[in-house]
Amino acid sequence: MPGTTSPPEIELIIEDIGGGRGNPPPGDDDNGGDGGGDNDNRGRKQSPSPKRYSTAITIALVSILMFFMALASAFIVLRRGSEVWVTVHLPPILLANTLILLASSFTLEASRRRLSLADPSGFRKFWLLTTGLGILFVAGQLVAWRQLVAQGVYIASNQASSFFYIFTGAHAVHLLGGVGALLYVSFRKSDQKRISLSTAAEITSYYWHFMDGLWVFLLALLYLGK
Amino acid sequence: MANDESAANQAETSQPGFLGRTLLSTDHKVIGLNYLWLALFSVFLGLAMSLLMRIHLVWPGIRLPFLSGSSLERYAALTTFHGSLMVFLVLTAAPQAGFGNYFLPLQIGAREMAFPKLNRLSFWATAASLIGLTIAFLAAPETGITLWTASVALFSLASLCNGINFSVTTIDLRARGMTLPRLPLTVWAWFINGILSTLIFSILLAASVCLLSDRLSSTHFFPPLNFLAGQPASFVANFLPVLWQRLFWFFAQAEVYIAMLPCFGLTTHLLSTFSRKPVWIERLVVLALCGVGLFGFCVWGQHMFASGMNPFSPLVFSLLASSLGLPATILLISWLGTLWNARIQLNTSMLFAIGFVSLFMAGGISGIFLAGRDLAAAAVSDEFITGHFHLVMGVAATFAILGALFFWFPKLFGRRLNESLGKIHFWLTFAGVYLVFMPLHWLGLLTHANLYSGSRIAAISAMVAPVRAFITVAAILLVLAQGIFLFNFLWSLFRGEKIEERNPWRATTLEWSVSSPPPAGDFGATGPVVYRGAYEFSVLGVAEDFVPQHLSPEQVSKAR
Repeated sequence: MPGTTSPPEIELIIEDIGGGRGNPPPGDDDNGGDGGGDNDNRGRKQSPSPKRYSTAITIALVSILMFFMALASAFIVLRRGSEVWVTVHLPPILLANTLILLASSFTLEASRRRLSLADPSGFRKFWLLTTGLGILFVAGQLVAWRQLVAQGVYIASNQASSFFYIFTGAHAVHLLGGVGALLYVSFRKSDQKRISLSTAAEITSYYWHFMDGLWVFLLALLYLGK
Repeated sequence: MANDESAANQAETSQPGFLGRTLLSTDHKVIGLNYLWLALFSVFLGLAMSLLMRIHLVWPGIRLPFLSGSSLERYAALTTFHGSLMVFLVLTAAPQAGFGNYFLPLQIGAREMAFPKLNRLSFWATAASLIGLTIAFLAAPETGITLWTASVALFSLASLCNGINFSVTTIDLRARGMTLPRLPLTVWAWFINGILSTLIFSILLAASVCLLSDRLSSTHFFPPLNFLAGQPASFVANFLPVLWQRLFWFFAQAEVYIAMLPCFGLTTHLLSTFSRKPVWIERLVVLALCGVGLFGFCVWGQHMFASGMNPFSPLVFSLLASSLGLPATILLISWLGTLWNARIQLNTSMLFAIGFVSLFMAGGISGIFLAGRDLAAAAVSDEFITGHFHLVMGVAATFAILGALFFWFPKLFGRRLNESLGKIHFWLTFAGVYLVFMPLHWLGLLTHANLYSGSRIAAISAMVAPVRAFITVAAILLVLAQGIFLFNFLWSLFRGEKIEERNPWRATTLEWSVSSPPPAGDFGATGPVVYRGAYEFSVLGVAEDFVPQHLSPEQVSKAR
């Protein structure tokens, strides 16, 4: 597969070139139906390896982690530096939301197992269930916000409430991105298969589990910060 | 997101309009050029702003545009605008996003960045943040600052996505045979910088989000001092007013290395090519580049986590800042070792690369003073610091960018920049920056009142005024000298000497194996294959004094 690095033995590479020029390149799966040879120079036959998606999501997750670490360390610094800290009474529904989110991680894994067992309908069922749980979580967060607002706790009320809204808000935005990815995987057109279903599901699962763990961390921080 | 990028590419082959060829294109070369145009525009705008500031400092009576009305606020806005333009749109965008986008895929033998559509989106976000910064400068201070913060957040987001794109491209899209040790040092620098960008721009993004929330929904993450003044003491104790400064400086300290890292790569590349010698201690240079990235990251990281509970642990900070001297010294030794005993080709590109080394040394020496916390805190005023970071960050990076532009102009446009004009421009600029920024250092040391007793202050202030005037006159001449460059650039774009050969500099890397400018898709039907390291100059037993990376051993033996 071109695009991946090969061992540096030069003889081996030369053989490769000879072969490559001789036959029409095999394994050219996504160049199939486009006819017209004028696109040869566009370089589609050396289409970048699907590995790039998992590499990208790894780096992106580290970056997202840095974003939340910056917020978390701001929280810790302000919390430690203050003598009077007005606490926010965390709505109990947050615990239910947490359970929902944790459950969604399990359904996601169940879904991926169905996929590896070549059970597309089971995959789809659990996948949609995961999506539903994700949406339910965000809805639950909205309810938590409404409850706080009903108690008269707004984002600008005190520093604890500011951090609560910032943490949950930023997490919800990121989680909605995950819901978008889940929806994309379930509803994408079958002819756009530059990335295989299992790869797409795998990458989405990395992101989803990360968001899951991140939420547990943020919630623990908010509880311990009381 | 990148699923139908090939469809977009196909659409472009069917005669796209002007917009399709420029702003709407997902071609990495077009996007790279777009960034360079953006940086060119910003650098001249920023220069004009700096002139206004210098003139206002020395002759406050003169009526200047943008400085009417409440002069203090307008001056602060001017400084902010100048700094944001130069740091974000020029120093961050040009060497990394500009040259990186254009040449990283070419140098590793890829046809495109890993995520072309994301790349285009990043460019749009960067352009939008330039527009936002400009409107923020023109607007009233209150809305201006909000808009400025939003623009910076947008820029951070764009840089984040760029960083991801760069690192993934380098990891996954290299051509056959392009092993890590064979990567050109430019690519190493872009790669490390990409990773560093994803890490630190998320910090700036988080800080900007908090600041925006402060301004828009009146939270108090970073309460302003005048707000605290009206509050009871128990309330004030809740706040650390320095939090914003610390979050910002965590970013800003690393931002220096974000701007410098690609410039290290570019300079090393140019020095080797025009010395016709391999990079001396190349492996060590790669380690040093990694070291710069790592230390640059730790400078704030250490500060933030280790000392998050204790805001004043300057020892750690100072130690880390000093430890950056190690990779910097390795780089310097490598540059000097590469130049040693070489048959140097002193063209404009090489002159700028050597100028970079000179400025880096000069700026680095004053940096040693600043890393010692005592001096930084007690004896050094703003002007010393202004002189220091302009010399080492602003001007040195600009020299590397200019060197790279003279080097790659034939590849970008198929024409050469005029060498005579280029050399005149180089010498005027080189003299100019030392005439402007060296006296600034001196002024900084001189004007710090703590060191002197009352009677000598009057004597000193009598000396200061002519120095300030001298700096301003030198700055005006320096900016005028850039007119030569602008003329050279525009003239060469249309009338410059045409390049028929692909490889006018007799360089080794892959971008010189394709025509100038490179065709769409960069490489032909079969991708390039790499057989050797990036700096095989003056190899024994070979007729030519360079061996391009894509030549197989048989092709080389023909040249014998």
